[in-house]
Amino acid sequence: MTLDCCETLSPHEQRIKDRIDGKEDRFRQSHSRAFTILDEFEASRPSIDVERALYFTQSFKETEGQPLVLRWAKALQHIAANITVYIDDHQLLAGRVGKPGRYGILYPELDGDFLDQAVAELPHRVGAPFGITADEVQIVVEEIAPYWKGKTYHEALNAALPPDIHKLTYDDPEGLISRFIVNETSSFRSSIQWVHDYEKVLTRGFGDIRHEAEARLAALDPLSPRDEVEKKPFLQAVVIIADAIVHWAQRHAALAREQALAESDPQRRKELLELAEICEWVPERPARSFQEAVQSQWFTQMFSRLEQKTGTIISNGRMDQYLYPYFKADIERGVLTEDRALELIECMWVGLAQFVDLYISPAGGAFNEGYAHWEAVTIGGQTRDGRDATNELSYLFLKSKREFPLHYPDLAARIHSRSPQRFLWEVAETIKEGSGFPKLINDEEVVPLYVSKGATFEEAYDYAVSGCSEARMPNRDTYTSGGAYVNFAAALEMTLFNGRMLKYGDRPLGLETGDPATFETWEELWEAYKRQQLLFCKAAFTQQHIVCALRARHFAQPMGSALHDLCMKHCLDLHTPQIPDGINLGYFECIGFGTVVDSLAAIKKLVFEDKKVSTTELIEALKTDFEGREPLRRLLRSAPCYGNNDPYADRIALDIDRVFVDYARKYSRELGIHNDIRYVPFTSHVPFGKVVSATPNGRKAFTPLSDGSSASHGADVNGPTAILLSNYETKNHGFRERAARLLNIKFTPKCLEGTEGTRKLVSLIRTFCDLKLWHVQFNVVNRETLLAAQREPEKYRSLIVRIAGYSAYFVDLSPDLQNDLIARTAHDTL
Amino acid sequence: MDMDQPDREESGVVFNIQRYSVHDGQGIRTVVFLKGCPLRCRWCSNPESQGPHPELARNAGRCLGVEICDYCKEICANGALGLPEAGAPVVDRGICRDCMACAATCPAQAMQPYGSVRTARQVLDAVEKDSPFYSRSEGGMTLSGGEPLTQPAFALALLREAARRHVDCAMETCGHVSWTALSRACGLLRELFFDLKVMDPVKHKEQTGVDNRLITDNLRRLLTEFPRLAVRVRTPVIPGVNDSRDDIAAILDFIRPFPHVTYELLPYHRLGAQKYAFLDRDFPMGDARLDNRKFEELRNFAAGNRQAE
Repeated sequence: MTLDCCETLSPHEQRIKDRIDGKEDRFRQSHSRAFTILDEFEASRPSIDVERALYFTQSFKETEGQPLVLRWAKALQHIAANITVYIDDHQLLAGRVGKPGRYGILYPELDGDFLDQAVAELPHRVGAPFGITADEVQIVVEEIAPYWKGKTYHEALNAALPPDIHKLTYDDPEGLISRFIVNETSSFRSSIQWVHDYEKVLTRGFGDIRHEAEARLAALDPLSPRDEVEKKPFLQAVVIIADAIVHWAQRHAALAREQALAESDPQRRKELLELAEICEWVPERPARSFQEAVQSQWFTQMFSRLEQKTGTIISNGRMDQYLYPYFKADIERGVLTEDRALELIECMWVGLAQFVDLYISPAGGAFNEGYAHWEAVTIGGQTRDGRDATNELSYLFLKSKREFPLHYPDLAARIHSRSPQRFLWEVAETIKEGSGFPKLINDEEVVPLYVSKGATFEEAYDYAVSGCSEARMPNRDTYTSGGAYVNFAAALEMTLFNGRMLKYGDRPLGLETGDPATFETWEELWEAYKRQQLLFCKAAFTQQHIVCALRARHFAQPMGSALHDLCMKHCLDLHTPQIPDGINLGYFECIGFGTVVDSLAAIKKLVFEDKKVSTTELIEALKTDFEGREPLRRLLRSAPCYGNNDPYADRIALDIDRVFVDYARKYSRELGIHNDIRYVPFTSHVPFGKVVSATPNGRKAFTPLSDGSSASHGADVNGPTAILLSNYETKNHGFRERAARLLNIKFTPKCLEGTEGTRKLVSLIRTFCDLKLWHVQFNVVNRETLLAAQREPEKYRSLIVRIAGYSAYFVDLSPDLQNDLIARTAHDTL
Repeated sequence: MDMDQPDREESGVVFNIQRYSVHDGQGIRTVVFLKGCPLRCRWCSNPESQGPHPELARNAGRCLGVEICDYCKEICANGALGLPEAGAPVVDRGICRDCMACAATCPAQAMQPYGSVRTARQVLDAVEKDSPFYSRSEGGMTLSGGEPLTQPAFALALLREAARRHVDCAMETCGHVSWTALSRACGLLRELFFDLKVMDPVKHKEQTGVDNRLITDNLRRLLTEFPRLAVRVRTPVIPGVNDSRDDIAAILDFIRPFPHVTYELLPYHRLGAQKYAFLDRDFPMGDARLDNRKFEELRNFAAGNRQAE
């Protein structure tokens, strides 16, 4: 039994305290190299490096008219030969794709049409600003942007959208400003989240991939026109990029030797010479050691970043699996220790942390506030034959997360019904650190779902977490088009305002489903909402149909394709809309789920059942943002809400989900893909909220919508088990037309304190697994949050605090008690 | 009608069902709080649990104020609601019959009922929702109060219905209950939390309103007759009441013959203070606070004492 009056600090709190006290981090000694590198860039403002964009553009000017995949390969070759190469002080890994410190690079093929305007504004942007030198602005304005005007995918898409889809997509004729209704995401990233088959590089090397392409070239049918036009340029592109990445690595080797010559410290000189040897060997040849494997992977993912902008950063795949043979062999040979392995891995983490995913477009920036990044490293899960895959490296990654305080990489733990207790225990201990890592992805949902979508068990068992919540099968997935993010709170608003939105004036944007004041029954209102929802589904799918066809004319990724079995087999670039035997896992996104469910529940209950509120009164209140109608707003907020395991609200949620899956089942086929419903917002529920006026759940106008499959802000008051069960109850389990659902749960450290706290968190995770929920992540929050909760109690209604003998909702406590708790926390932690 | 029907339809007054309770017994639990208590401990942190019937709570902090909101203006048939010019309405507790008409209309949930009548079936349906969590954590239902056995028929119906549904049960008791009810309950429990506050009968009566004879008799008897039941004796350490070494030593002496009992000291807290205000009652403890160091000493003393045996 632990007691409040003698509570211990969470490790995270201890760390904060130490830092404030000026004490050295207690893990600094055992992670000194990573800390030293981190010191040099932590908290610095990122700057833009234009080299990638410049060389890419130079090459494209020279290759007009050639097959796109070949042009892309040649552009990469030009970049590899000319871009500045770096080896940072103290680093054991060579390679970065921009200037020292935190940096972002440009992809003019995406946003070249407005790049010149945008770069001038970037340093002044409030969310996620970037620095850029005057010289570089000049390069962008004079040498890069002019070439792309009239050539970008974004312009083509803007022109191709039919008027009724365009008006739900963009706010202006040029398509620069989003409506945030049926938002396209394909123009601010070259691909959706992706994972390469890194194992292929480690075991074969690019040299062998080059050999394969050469052999295939030699074996082409000399009389076949298709081989000549399609296969030949693809295979030539593979040869070129294999050469390009090897050349790039060799330049690093040369630099390492050069630096070694000038180095006075014998220890560092030795490191540099070793690094030179490694870069001469990989990624061309198979890795021979753990360090070579890490370096080879690092070159590959950095080169991938030069190749294209993979949305929210290319993921790292099942790192504890493909690195394990090298780790094990080196440990057995006695040439590697766990500490050294950790040091190498953390050298990668600090490398990752310096690359910032730069969004030029206003919509892209709004979607990914605060330099969002999801370069997921997957650990745990199952082997290709369905056995537990956890190994010593899985534990080492968790240990690194506990000891080295960095938000990179995004760590994802795959959980399954036979995950060993030790794994769950260490996962729980890591979650308790308070930084939200690792997030959990559930094999018991993903594997059967992917099998039902056409994968083999081997492929499904071997999926890698990709980005914030996706799961990829690197040699079977073939879909790269960013899907629509759909604002279903806007559909609700249009239901209540006969096809209009207050933000966008009197012109109907949606269907004119009638004046809701004339609806006499809940069913009439529900039918009207359903028609708006279906219209949005149609808009999303129509948009996607156009997106899929257009993108292939604008994007290629020869390196990503070279690493993909099916692309190599069919000599098709990965951006090709349909690749034989591929599984196209597309998705469209529901934003504002909780907001819509709670609003409909409030209308159903208070307007049609209890008749406490008239529709006219409700609409008036919404129009005026509840001005002078606070009692009504409170009444609306008291209606059943999603996230409480309340059958009333959950039933409505299930019905909404059913409309999605029914539609997707019927119309995905027309697109030739799985275009399934997903509930993952990034940070888009914030900008989406900014266009939606007050909603019947008592939400004020233009404030954020609910996120992912989480409850509305503060609406979930029955604790975490109810949140998990609401999620379970609102899925149409009989359908396969669903993709990821993102779920956030908050705890205070006190709630999870001690061995007992860990044990209970483990059992909660076991039940999460039993319930076959796709994803969950935990926030373990402390004092700052309590203070914020005091200032804005409504937003923090569901914050649980541990007090003497029981847990309670913080905002339910009197100010006196809140201060008491805060003071006590403050006393203990600061 | 099947044999179990009477249990399911048995009803009682419940004032809270708290899910994801992780500090009241094994695993992830749902605590069912029954209304009514034979004791009137001055430090009670759940004043709303004491009376047997539903009671009106008035949380002035949540009230929007009569200048903004008039929902409750003419609602009270008994004239118990006094409306000031601004701020929250005032309840005349002498007239109020706890009919909850104002609570039903209040949009801000400033007026709320503490307690409502529910059947055993309704309670267990709510408890059973978290069954996937119980089976992974060895959790279940915990009956608490008030004193759950002030509603003996209902409490036992809940325990039997839980047993039928294979929901593990724990219970908290103040011990001042009939042996018949307690012994029946013990046969249905995996764990019992038994409060033992003060050994001196005079002081006990002074501080809680009742003599402790029945409590100590019950404890002695159940420890003898249910040797396999997990029992945790708990003492809330209250400043000025039982926060001396002698007070605790007396309790330790009493349980010394029963080594299988676990013992725990709970620190006094003021977290129930605001609920007195919601009931328009004064908090009897005023500003008294527990000295943390003193509590730590007592806790170490108790731990050392139990270990020595």
